[in-house]
Amino acid sequence: MIIHGKWHSLGSAAQSVAALYIEDDDYRLEIDGGRTYSGELQSLQVSDRLGNVERKITLEDGSIFASQDNDAIDRLFKDHTKLNNFIHAIESHIGLVAIATLLTITFAFSFFKWGVPWASTKIAHALPQKTNELIAGETLKFLDKYMFEESKLDVEKIEHIREHFRSTLIPLDEKNNSINYKLHFREWNDGETGIPNALALPSGDIILTDEFVKLSENQDEIDAVLLHEMGHVVRRHTLEMVIESAFVTTAVMLITGDNNGLADMGVGLGSLLVSTNYSRNHETEADLYAFEHMLVAKIDPQAFSDIMNRITESIEEINDEKSEEDEGGILDYLSTHPSTAKRVEQAKRYSKCFQIGMIICDTSTVNSEH
Amino acid sequence: MKALSFAGSGFEYFKIWIVNILLTIVTLGLYYPWAKVRNRRYFAANSNLEGRNFEYHATGKQLFIGYLIAMAIFIVFVIIQNVSPIGSLIVALLFILALPWIIWRSIKFNMRMTSFSNVRFGFDGILGGAYINYLLLPIVCFLALYGLPIALAIVIPMLGLQMNALLGIIILVAVIAFIVLAFFLFAFLKKRNTSYAINGYRYGQGEFSTNVETKKFAMILLKSVGLSILAMIALLVIVAVIAGFTGIANEILQLKDSLQDPEAMQMALAGSLGMLIGLVYLGFIIVSLLIVAYLYTRQRTYIYDNSNLDNKITFASTLKARPFAWVMITNFIIIIFTLGFGVPWAKVRMARLILENSQVNTNHGFDEYLTQKQKQQSSLGEQIGDAFDVDVGIGF
Repeated sequence: MIIHGKWHSLGSAAQSVAALYIEDDDYRLEIDGGRTYSGELQSLQVSDRLGNVERKITLEDGSIFASQDNDAIDRLFKDHTKLNNFIHAIESHIGLVAIATLLTITFAFSFFKWGVPWASTKIAHALPQKTNELIAGETLKFLDKYMFEESKLDVEKIEHIREHFRSTLIPLDEKNNSINYKLHFREWNDGETGIPNALALPSGDIILTDEFVKLSENQDEIDAVLLHEMGHVVRRHTLEMVIESAFVTTAVMLITGDNNGLADMGVGLGSLLVSTNYSRNHETEADLYAFEHMLVAKIDPQAFSDIMNRITESIEEINDEKSEEDEGGILDYLSTHPSTAKRVEQAKRYSKCFQIGMIICDTSTVNSEH
Repeated sequence: MKALSFAGSGFEYFKIWIVNILLTIVTLGLYYPWAKVRNRRYFAANSNLEGRNFEYHATGKQLFIGYLIAMAIFIVFVIIQNVSPIGSLIVALLFILALPWIIWRSIKFNMRMTSFSNVRFGFDGILGGAYINYLLLPIVCFLALYGLPIALAIVIPMLGLQMNALLGIIILVAVIAFIVLAFFLFAFLKKRNTSYAINGYRYGQGEFSTNVETKKFAMILLKSVGLSILAMIALLVIVAVIAGFTGIANEILQLKDSLQDPEAMQMALAGSLGMLIGLVYLGFIIVSLLIVAYLYTRQRTYIYDNSNLDNKITFASTLKARPFAWVMITNFIIIIFTLGFGVPWAKVRMARLILENSQVNTNHGFDEYLTQKQKQQSSLGEQIGDAFDVDVGIGF
C-alpha cells in the first residue's frame, strides 16, 4: 500500500513531498531528495480522525508525515485508535447522526424538564436547615432598608393574625416542626398605591404587606396565603431555585461551548424560559401544599381562589393606571407565576373535595390533568 | 498576497458537533474537554494557506484537570451570585482582579497549542503588561473620563455660580472636552491592547510586530459614530414617511385617546402600529449590526495592514462591513429558526468569510521557521476564560 503526503523534519515548517510504503507490519518512508526512513508500523503515532482534516503521523525522531488519505490511514491503524474510530464511525454514518440528534433533543428536554428539578429537590432536601437560614441571611434587613416601610395596621389586628398562625396553622405540619416560622407585617408601596403581596424567606420568615391584609375579607383567605407561603418554605423552593439556576447556567455553558455574539441572545431567552417554568412549578407545588393543609384544617380552598382573584384584579387596576407600559399577552409566557385562572380552577377542585368532607383529596379522581 | 481558505463544510461539522453534544450530555459534562478539542481542531486543521494548514494540538486529557477546577469555580460563582448580594460583589471584584491573568494565560495556552505548517505559535507578552493593559489603564481612563463631569458637578454648586452665559460656555466646553476625551481614550486603549497582544505573538523563532497609532483608531471610531448618527436619522425619516403614507400616523394620534381603554390599546398594538414598532426594532438592530461590522472590519484592516512577521511577511484584511454584517444577520436567523441546530453551519460560514478575507504575503516563504522550546503550562487560565466566556480576541 502507498500513501502519498508530505514530510516535515522535527519542528520545521519546511516540507518535502514524501510517500509511505507499507508491507505487512513494516513501513518505508521515501522523501524527495533521497532520504528514507523504515521500521515497524507499530512505532508510528497517528493523530485522530476528524472529518477529513489532514492526518499527522509522527515518526520516532519526531519528524512528521502528513497526508489527506484518511481512509488508507484508517485501514492501516485500525488497532491504534479504537475510541477515535468509534466516534468517527458515528459521525460518518448518516443514520447514526440522525439518532444522535434525536437522542440529544430527548436528553436535553428530559434533563431540563425532569432531571434538573428532581436533582435540585434531592440536593435541597439533603442540605441542613442551616443552609436555608444562611441564604436568607440579611434579606429581610435589605428589603426593610430599600423596599418596605413599617406596617400601619392596628396592633390588635396584627396580634390576632399572629396568634391564629401560631395556634392553628403551624401545628398542621408536624413533620416540619423544626422550621422557625416568624410572621412580619410591612407596608410596601409603588408610588402612592400599596402592593398586595406575601413573601416567604427560606429561613421561615413570612412577610404580609398591609395592602394584602386590607384586601383579605376573612381569616380563611389569610390562612390560604400563609399556607401557600409555608409550602414554599417546607419545599425549600428558594434553595431549589439556586441549585436549578446553577444547573441551567452550567449546562447552557457546556452545550453552547465557545459560541458568541448573537447566538447568546437566543440562549439567554431559552434559559429564561426554562427558569420561569421551574418557578411556575414551585408556585403550583406551594398551592397544592396549601390546599392539602386547608382540607385538614377544615378551611374551604375556595378562599384561596377568592383572594387570588381579588389580588389579580387589584394589580390589574394598578397596571391600568400606567398602561403605556402594558404590552399584553406576550409577558404571560415569561411570567413566574401560573395564570390565576389555572390556580383558581385547581382551588375549585379542592373545594369540591372539601364540600364532600374529604381530608385527603385524591388528585387523580378530581384533577384529571395530573 | 495570498488569501487563506477553509476546507470544512457545514454538514460535516454538524455531524461532529452533534456527536460532541450527545457525548457531553451522556457523560454528564465529563466529555467536554475532548469535545472542545475536536471543535477547535476542526476549524484549525481546515484552515489552509498554500497547501499548508493550521493544527490545534491540545488533548482532552491535558485539558481535563483545568476543566474540572474551572467548572468548580464557575459553579461556586453562580451559587454565590444567587445567594448573597455582598458575596457576589466580592466575587465580581475578585474576578476583575483575575481577568488580566486569565486573558494572559488564555493567549499563551492557545497560541502554544496552535501550529501552522508544523511550527508552533507562542506568546511572549509578560503578565505585568496584561495587568497594565486590561486592568490599570481601563481604570485610569474611566477615572479620567468621569473625573471631569464629577469635578464640575462638585465645583459649580460650591462656588455658588448663577446660571449665566459664562457658565453656559463653561459647560459646553466641558461637554465637548468630555466627548473628545472619550474618543481619545477608547482609541488609546484599543492601540495599547492591540500592541500588547500582537507584539507578544511568536511564530517559531519569528516575532510579530505592529505599529498601530491612537490617532488612526480615533478616526475610525469617529467615522463609525458619525455613520450611526446619520443612519439613525435616516431610519427615523423612513419610519415617519411610512407612517404618513399608510395612515398609521392617525392611529398614533388616536392612541392618545385609547390610553384610558386597555382593550383599544391592545387592538392598536396588535395591528399595523405593532408592525411599525416591530419594523423600527428590526431597523434598529440592522443599523447597529452594520455599525458594529463597520467598526470591526475597519479596525481589522488597519491592524492587518500595519502588522508583520519579522518585517518580512506582511498581512492584509479584505473583510468589508456589508458582507460581514450580512453573515452575522443571516447566521442569527439560521440559529433562531433551527432552534440552535444551525449553529454548525453558522460557524462554518463565519470561519470561511473571515479566512477568505485574510491575506498573507507568502513571497518570502515559511521554510526557515522552526518550533521553539516553550515551557509546559497548565490550561487552567484558558479553561476559566472559557467557562466565564472571556473574549480574548487573538485577532486571526
